[in-house]
Order: sequence, then structure tokens, then C-alpha cells
Amino acid sequence: MTHRSWAEPWRIKMVEPLRMTTRAERESAIARAGYNTFLLDADDVYIDLLTDSGTSAMSDRQWAGIMLGDEAYAGSRNFLNLQNAVREYYGFEHVIPTHQGRGAEHILSQILIEHGDHVPGNMYFTTTRAHQELAGAAFHDVIVDEAHDPASEYPFKGNVDLAKLDALVSKVGANRIPYISVAATVNLAGGQPISLQNLRAVREYTRERGILVILDAARAVENAWFIQQREPGHSRYSIEFLLKEMCKQADGMTMSAKKDSLANIGGWLALRDDALADAARNLVVLYEGLHTYGGLAGRDMEAIAIGIQESVHEDHIRSRIGQVMYLGNKLIDAGIPVVKPIGGHAVFLDAAAMLPHIPRPEFPAQALAAALYVESGIRSMERGAVSAGRDENGENRYPSLELVRLTVPRRVYTQAHMDVVAESVIEIASMRESVAGLQFTYEPKHLRFFQARFRPVAVQAEHESAHQSMAVSPR
Amino acid sequence: MRFNTIIEPFRIKTVEPIRQTTVSQRRAAIEKAHYNVFLLPARDVLIDLLTDSGTGAMSVYQWAGMMKGDESYAGARSFDAFESAVRDITGFSHVIPTHQGRAAEHILFHTVVRKGDIVPNNTHFDTTRANVEDAGGIPLDLPTREGKRAQSSDPFKGNMDVDALERTLEQHGERVPLVMITVTNNSEGGQPVSLENVRDVSAVCRRYGVPLFIDACRFAENAWLNKSREAHLATRSARSIAQEMFSLADGCTMSAKKDGMANIGGFLAMNNGALASRCRTRLVLTEGFPTYGGLAGYDLEAIAVGLNEALDEDYLRYRIRSIEYLGEKLLAAGVPIVTPTGGHALYLDARRMLAHVPQSEYPAWALSLVLYVEGGVRAAEIGSVMFGRKQNGIERFSELELVRLAFPRRVYTQSHVDYVAEVVCYVNSIASRIRGVRITEAPSVLRHFTARLEPIAGQLLAPGPTSSASTMP
Repeated sequence: MTHRSWAEPWRIKMVEPLRMTTRAERESAIARAGYNTFLLDADDVYIDLLTDSGTSAMSDRQWAGIMLGDEAYAGSRNFLNLQNAVREYYGFEHVIPTHQGRGAEHILSQILIEHGDHVPGNMYFTTTRAHQELAGAAFHDVIVDEAHDPASEYPFKGNVDLAKLDALVSKVGANRIPYISVAATVNLAGGQPISLQNLRAVREYTRERGILVILDAARAVENAWFIQQREPGHSRYSIEFLLKEMCKQADGMTMSAKKDSLANIGGWLALRDDALADAARNLVVLYEGLHTYGGLAGRDMEAIAIGIQESVHEDHIRSRIGQVMYLGNKLIDAGIPVVKPIGGHAVFLDAAAMLPHIPRPEFPAQALAAALYVESGIRSMERGAVSAGRDENGENRYPSLELVRLTVPRRVYTQAHMDVVAESVIEIASMRESVAGLQFTYEPKHLRFFQARFRPVAVQAEHESAHQSMAVSPR
Repeated sequence: MRFNTIIEPFRIKTVEPIRQTTVSQRRAAIEKAHYNVFLLPARDVLIDLLTDSGTGAMSVYQWAGMMKGDESYAGARSFDAFESAVRDITGFSHVIPTHQGRAAEHILFHTVVRKGDIVPNNTHFDTTRANVEDAGGIPLDLPTREGKRAQSSDPFKGNMDVDALERTLEQHGERVPLVMITVTNNSEGGQPVSLENVRDVSAVCRRYGVPLFIDACRFAENAWLNKSREAHLATRSARSIAQEMFSLADGCTMSAKKDGMANIGGFLAMNNGALASRCRTRLVLTEGFPTYGGLAGYDLEAIAVGLNEALDEDYLRYRIRSIEYLGEKLLAAGVPIVTPTGGHALYLDARRMLAHVPQSEYPAWALSLVLYVEGGVRAAEIGSVMFGRKQNGIERFSELELVRLAFPRRVYTQSHVDYVAEVVCYVNSIASRIRGVRITEAPSVLRHFTARLEPIAGQLLAPGPTSSASTMP
């Protein structure tokens, strides 16, 4: 029989108290934070769904591993354990630790990209694209069209559209495409998976043309679970097998261990090619640390090595994604517009559909995230036009998806917490008219969503007088 | 004081077993590691003096802080604790965490250095030099003449040559985006920089309108060495000396793996808000969001506690005394070392110890290999493999050929130190048999970390008078 319940395959060993705040406290907190949830003090947050990155609860085994940290500068045994775990579960020969995922992206972009190159990918991700551009490449989105339609129920919205890839190759030539960046799952499409069949097709296509495949594997275990659940003929394979099979289609991987691997810090770059790995090791020393610690404490490498083993357990991944599904289905049942199907790590609210009265230049998703915080103390993240930044002509990019991400940290929140989140979102939906749009008061040049500040766009004259400074007018 | 012995101001809470190996096991291990101690697995090392960076033992309070870590991606309370600890000691208003010291350097230099700019420093450390060059700048070392003399007993051999700095700024002022001063001066033997020297350097920088940044890795040790070597500072606290030093500068880079008493972490701090905001823009790209900078929340807590523990005077007295203790033992046995002993390490003078090995055969590197094979002690070469470089096919050698015995903080006991002294004395007694090495493969940047070498004569030691297999007496 299939398990209907996603009950957690663990019990709680250590807790961290939460602080409750009043609506008035939150109103002043969000104003202080410039209506950007990134700038809130964590102490002012009740349920923190900003990100699933580095926010997981470690297991007692991982904490025991923390105590086994070998802090030798060179040749630490924890590095050997990490290397073995990556080789065993991901199957890459060369393992180069980095302080987190963007450290791996930085090094990869610097060694593979030459100025004027083109890098296709299944939808952009903020830091990934920033590193590609910093190294002198232009990014091209080659994801299937379904990914841009939040209502489409297509099971593999993370797939690469090979026709789009082929069109790019014809236009710029395969020799100007050092690699294709394939994310599994695709974060900004809503945590959507890529199928094994599609990944194999990408491998076939690129092999003939000398283009490398680099897997952004931060949530590849979650992707493997979707393959097992949704891809015809794959339900009999283990998560371990499917993960390895996915990795076989790639020449290298970048990893943020803060996601699937259940660690609070860390990442790695893994490669098959000896010469590329040597080039990467020469840079890791400059930016990160010696190649046997890469800017991580020994204990962190141990926690990651153990986290990798825990991440591929079927019970763990079923419960992990089961919890996200639980929240998503509650919202769907209540008629809230969300990205479908529900993804692996988060439920994405379709802010454009939820707040149709706010025009795109007034950033409906940013406004929704601010309003959700004020109403309930829940912190979420904008993943829309603010995150997408400006194009080469300085114009705002307006991606087809204008989303608010409710990201679920691993093993941290309970079913009751999820119930509160669902109730809060449903409540906001019922008072949507009172949510006002936002405009920039400070806009940084790179990755603006992190540190940007906003103010509410002045609402209609009759509302304006008393409550100009609030994202949400009082009920 | 009634008693002369300076004991550790702590007792041991957790231990980590170390593994004994034989000379022949180590001979095989070093061959497998391509005659580079950086490539040795740590489990094959008995006493690891490769570095004091990130290798310290944390206190119970730091471990308690680890358990309190707030892993929120943004605005974590652990950042507040970190920020206020850094502000309290440095006085700088903008505090930017980084995953370690070289990342702070990377961000600072990539933000302020333009191609062809000159960055003066008393002496650049390896990663600092590499990051200046990576950003297109030219690192310029301005040590005093005393600093280059291993045998000089000047108390502040880490000082910067103020006249040379003034000349540099007069001639190239517009090409100097900032001046750096490294405390203590690691590459010159862990030697301190006097508060007076920082004051003079600061005055010159202000006259020319150039910001002064401190490479503050060992700020607490430097403060203590000022207190113990300058009569007029004897009554001041190490904390107040450190605070005064920071007040003379415009910012600092820091590896919290040294005087932050942490296993990982670092920061960049400064007063200039506009510059800080440019640095944060780069930070989010390469490190992480400004309230975690690539560190876990638990690391921020450990550093906040550690920075204050590093300024505890009982700790500093013990710390500096342990190095001095080893130095006295070695001097008594006639081993050539850099004097006076510095803050974090003892430096063997390989040029004097191995006068028969020319610099082209890397005497300090060879010495470090023999220390490992004979005694299982891992130490770092600070000489021509680390600092030498090829220019137009001709190799330029380092002024000093040193082997650094760096002491991890609060890790080894007095009997470990006694053992190290025995190993060094024994190796000194067979020094004439040590043979040079050559590089077979090396990258162009920071080559010492991953270079491969081999003994020129096929083995590290020429056969001895009694037996061909050397063993400890």
C-alpha cells in the first residue's frame, strides 16, 4: 500500500523557542525593514519560510559528527568522509568543497566561461545567472513553455526544451556554449522537477556538440523523488539509484549542501575531468580555502557527509515533500492561486493572480510578502520582478511568474505550523483589496532583492491621509 | 609573583586522540603526498603545527554559543551578537561577515583596487598578496630593515618602514587605494607592530588622504606583545591597546580563525558607509547575505565569544609564554631560530641550519619534510616555495628561508611542546645530512598549497655515519 500520511520519520531532540509579536510590532518592523522581508530581524518573525537554505534542523547523528570535526588545515579526515559520500551518492570523482553553493558557482563560472560566451539553462536562478554574467557570459532560458504557466499541471515543468536549445546552438554556435546549466529541481519555476528522460536527451544532444552538462544539484534528491513518483516505469527504482542516474548525465555539479544535504552551511563543486578539477582547485585556494576544506570547518564537512546519507532515505524524502504537499493542497482546496503542481521545497503563491489590482511595476509579490508578514508574522520571499532585476538596457525584467515563495525548512516546523500558514494565507486572500503596491526607495546594482528598500505606493486619495506608511491598511 | 610556571588558564573538557606512526610509515606517507606536507592526510600527523588558523580548541562558552546558533537566513540574532562584539573591539561602524579572512581580502581588493594600483603593506601574507594580484594590483612590501634580519633582537620587527611609505605615497599617491598593515607580521616571523608605528603610519596615510586598513588576524597577540615590550603600555589592558590601534585605522580585514578563536569565519569592517555598501554588493555575489556572509549562525556565535576570550590576559600570557618556552629550549640547544620569539609561532632559520643547501634547492621546505619524517611534526615552509616566483624564466627567491612551527590555540600541552623540542634538536643534530628538493609540478598562484616536489638526491637524508636508516635516539 502507499502511505497516505507523511508523518515525520523522527522525533524531536532539541527545540528553539519562537517569539510571538503583535500586529503593531510587525507594522513597525516591516517599515523599518523597508518592506523587504530579507531585512527583518529574525527575532521579529514567527514562522520563517524565507528559505529552506541552511535553515534545516540537523539530526543527533549530525551533531555527533560536529563533535568529530578534525580542524587540521590540510588533509582533514572529515574531508575524506565528505569526498567518499559525494563519490558514493553522486558519483563524481573530483570533490572540491566550498563554503556554500555560490562559492562553487563562482569557481565554475570562472574556469569555464570566456567573455562573450552563452550559457543556456532551465530557467535562471539569481546567484547562478549573476556569476555567469560576472564571468562575461549571457544567460539563455531554454526551459519548456509549461514552466512559465503557473496553472499548467505538466508533471515535469523543469524540462529543457531541446528545440530552444537547438535554436540557440544554431544562432551562436556550439563552440560559444561552454556548458548548459541544468537545475534539478527548478527553484524559480516553483520547485519543479526535470525528468530523467529529458536529462538523458540533453546529454545526448550536448555530447555530440561538445557542450558540458553542469547539474545544479541543490535539490536533486527531491527531483529524484518526483521521478520515482511521476515518471512512467520508474517507481521501482530507489532514490539512491535515481540520484546516481541523474548525475551520470552530467559532467559536473555545483551543490549547496544547505538544501538537500541538511547542513547549516557548505557546498561543493564536483567534476569528472582531471584538468578541469585542477583548474578549479587552483581557484578554490584563492577564493575559498585549501582544497581539502574549501572554507568550511572540518565539523561542517562531517555534518554534510552524514546529511547526504540521511537525505536519500525514502522515509525522509517522502515526509519532506509530503509536508510541502500538505500545505499546498490546503491552499488549493481554499481556492488560493498557487503554482501547480506543488513543488519539492516550497509552495509558490501566484501573486499576480491573487492581487490583480496591483500593476506589475508596483511589485505585487513583494507587496504580498510584506502584507503576509504584517498580518501573521510569517516571513516569505518575493520571487518575481524584484528578484529578476534589470536587463542590459536597464529596464525592469518582468518574468512571467510573479510569485511569493513559502519555503519549508527541513525537519523544523510541525503540521500545526503549516495549518497556521494556510490559515494566514487564506485570510490575506479574503482582504486582498487592502494590500497596496510598492516602489523602490533604494535599489542595489547586483542581486537587488537582498537589500532593496521600498515604500507603499500612495493609495487612493481618500485612504491616503492616515496610513501612507503602511503596506496594508488596517482592517 | 611567588611561582614562575605559567599554567594554562583552563582545564580540558574534550579530547581528540592522536595517532602514532613510525618513521617508515611517514616516509611512505610523505612520498605519497608528493613531498608536500599540505597534501598529507591529517591522520598521518602526530603533532600538527602547520598553522594556527582554524585549528584552535573552542571553550565551553563557544560551544554553548554553537548550540544557540540562529540559522535564519536574514537578520539572525547570532549576527547581532557578532556585530556588537566586533564593534566593541574595533570601533568600526560597518561589520561584514565572511566565510574566512581571504574572502574579506577578496571583496575589499576587488572593490577598491584598479588595474596597476599599488597596495603597500608591512609584509603581505600569501593569500593577501594573491588577492591583490587577482584584483589587478601590485603588492608592495615595506618592512623595516630590522624585520629582514632573522637574528636582530629588535622588539618590533613587524613594523612598517614609515619613510619608505611616505616616499611611495609622494611618488604614486594617486595609484594607492589603501595602505595595509599586518598585525602581527606573519611572514616576518610573527613579529609585532608597535602601537607607535601604527600611529606614524596612520599619520602619513591621513596626510595623503589614503585609507589605512589593518590585517587584524592576530590583533590580540599584537596588543599583548605591545603591553609586554613597551614600558609605558605595561599598565594598559590588552583590550584598550587593541582598541587604540583600531582607532588609528579606517577599517580592517580579519580571519576569525586566528584571534577570533574560531574554527571558521572572518570579517571586513570599516567606517566608510559608501564603501561598505559597495563591499556588500560583492559580498552577496561571492559569500552570502550581509547578515551571515557565508557562515552558519552557530559560527557567528562562536566568533562573538571567541573575540573576547582572545583578549583575556591570562590566556595571552600563557599563549605567548608557550612559544617563548619552546624558543628558550631551542636556543639553549643552539638551534638557529628567529628572535625574539613572536606571537603565534616559532620560526626555524633554515638558511643557517642548512647552510649547505642552496636556495635553489629550497632548504626550508626540505627541513619541514625531515621534521615530519623523523618526528611526525607537521610545519609550514615560509620561504622560496611559498614566496618565490618565476619572472622571465628566472626564479626570484625569498629573503628568508623559514620553517614555521605554528601553535594551535589551547590544543597542545607542555609535554607536547617538550616532544617538539626534542624532535627539532635531533633534526638539528643531523642537519648536515639533509638534502635539497626540486619542484616537479606547480600552479602559478599560491603554488605551495598544491605543488609536487621530489628529493634531488633521491632521498631526503644522506646516509648517516652509523646507520642508513635514521631513527629518533
